[in-house]
Amino acid sequence: MSAIEELAAQGTGTSDQTEQHRDRPWRVIVWNDPVTLMSYVVFVLRRLFGYDLETATQLMLKVHNEGSAVVATEARERAEVTVAQLHAHGLQATLARD
Amino acid sequence: MAEIRRSGELIEVRVGRRERQALAKILERLEPMLEESHWTNSRAYEDDAEEEEFQRLVGSDLEQARADDMAAVRSALEADSPIRLDVEQTWRWLRSLNFLRLALAERLGIEEDGWEEQYSPREHRRPPLATLHLLSWVQEELVEALAGG
Repeated sequence: MSAIEELAAQGTGTSDQTEQHRDRPWRVIVWNDPVTLMSYVVFVLRRLFGYDLETATQLMLKVHNEGSAVVATEARERAEVTVAQLHAHGLQATLARD
Repeated sequence: MAEIRRSGELIEVRVGRRERQALAKILERLEPMLEESHWTNSRAYEDDAEEEEFQRLVGSDLEQARADDMAAVRSALEADSPIRLDVEQTWRWLRSLNFLRLALAERLGIEEDGWEEQYSPREHRRPPLATLHLLSWVQEELVEALAGG
């Protein structure tokens, strides 16, 4: 099992976190960079999230024009996996509490 | 000039011997930059402790995946056979090209959109900018070929 799969199975929640905190949704945010191709960003968003072309294109344009976009809102454990996948594709991504 | 096109289930990267050597050389020269690049080693969390835990769990996996992707590209370029990529192999190329472009752009001091206009046409035609454009062209063509399926 890879670490990313392990994350999906276990999450990285620290011991002092309450169940309530773990259950709160987290935002997965993709950030703009000046060189990643727009077409590639659209392609990655479609691959990872299953978005249709229009949705992925709108999100890419939001990243490009506004500097960032929330591409998913998920439980923390899932959001960490998503961010790791985005990093694996070379996109700038972070997560933050909703 | 190289040509990248879809052929059935595969993507054909038609490049001449010299172009293959040039791409292999670019990869060899840029890959060591990835370790030091800010863009190719993104943070997930602002908080240092949370980031450290995240990196502890996935950092080495991400590094290994990237190294495997690069190795696959290098192997295809160095092989004495036509380059025909299935979907997963094409994604290895796409990811590798993106990391290489990010690392090179960072080395060039590119920080904001609109950077293209800061350089003269002559600068765009010569390395290192021409290298960035070559990598961009290959990546764009691969996306188009894969999407065309």
